[in-house]
Amino acid sequence: MASTEKITVYNVADLRATTDDALVNYLNSLGLVQSHTLLDTRLALGFSAFLLSAACFAWDYKFGFESTKQYTLIAVILYTLLNGALTYWIMFVERGTIYVGSTKDGKTRVRLISDSKKPQQKGEAPLYKLRVDVEDVKTGKKEKIELERKFSEWFDASGRFVAAPFQTVLAQRIPLVGKLDPKRAVVAAAPSSEQNVIREQFAETPGYTAEILDAIASGLGESSTTTAATTGSSANQDAGKKRRK
Amino acid sequence: MLSGLANPRQAAVQLMNFGLILSTAFMMWKGISVITDSPSPIVVVLSGSMEPAFQRGDLLFLWNRNVLAETSVGEIVVYNVKGKDIPIVHRIVRKFGKGPEAKLLTKGDNNVSDDTELYASGQDYLVRNDIIGSVFAYIPFVGYVTILLSEHPWLKTVMLGLMGLVVVLQRE
Repeated sequence: MASTEKITVYNVADLRATTDDALVNYLNSLGLVQSHTLLDTRLALGFSAFLLSAACFAWDYKFGFESTKQYTLIAVILYTLLNGALTYWIMFVERGTIYVGSTKDGKTRVRLISDSKKPQQKGEAPLYKLRVDVEDVKTGKKEKIELERKFSEWFDASGRFVAAPFQTVLAQRIPLVGKLDPKRAVVAAAPSSEQNVIREQFAETPGYTAEILDAIASGLGESSTTTAATTGSSANQDAGKKRRK
Repeated sequence: MLSGLANPRQAAVQLMNFGLILSTAFMMWKGISVITDSPSPIVVVLSGSMEPAFQRGDLLFLWNRNVLAETSVGEIVVYNVKGKDIPIVHRIVRKFGKGPEAKLLTKGDNNVSDDTELYASGQDYLVRNDIIGSVFAYIPFVGYVTILLSEHPWLKTVMLGLMGLVVVLQRE
């Protein structure tokens, strides 16, 4: 899932959009079944409003204003209602939802809402805010998890997305994801001494720049073997250390 | 940047957003049209024939309903002439009769003679139906952009292209 595409790290909207996309891909790859109802409703509302105005344009163009103004009035009112419904849907129902899905057995439903926070002062890093609602379908019990992490944890300096550290954050903080992707979750809990050993190995080998470490981490992200998971996280630590300075 | 287009839903959302910008602008225009009862409720002055009241590029807001009183002498109106595309902004200087059949004569404040020459051939006066609205407010000069656009049509293409590009490239 390592992306070869570079984005501008100063564009918070881009950072967030790329992260959102990666998150959706990751969750789907874990076997969650995505539900598109929210977005499909939005598309239906938006496109019906658009078609209505296209029809209004057509009759206005063909028959002129005077003979069609009753219909135009109705169309304007309908369009306002549809657009109002669309705005309501986006602001109060979707609320920035990027993913709704359930486990294959249908027992657990999960919904993720993302947001970003621009740096308030000079020197601060932009933050990725994630809210996760995990619902037990049978009992209706809801669990709410909120995360706030720096984008720099999973973007390298050149603007490439690095999957491993990002997935580790998710697996570590969201129990459901941790259960579906135990390797990432385990890495987080691994003894630090082991990680240090690996990091020292890398550090002592000449020619390993941060870029190469990132490339290794992202390359390994695709073939998720056990070693991949450990090296991935150590590379993350290294890169993270560098960026936090 | 364009990676969103690989996902059909994401592409549909971006297409929808672009469509909604156009359609909202159009429906707002139509909304004002319906409220003011005028097919063209906002016009730009193209000539100097109403100077010093209006200059080239002034933006005029029209009202086309006779709620309290009939359209009468002294009002500045915008009217259409059969066979001509461009509406004309001039002042009513004579009125004979009452109601929708009243005969109206118009003249530009800055013109030497009245408008009989501007009317269609054989037409000597206007009736209420020829008028698409009376001016009730104006903003000086801001309409000059549209004069530029209509005099240099390639500017339109450039503007539309830029707007489309911004919408496609940005997701927020």
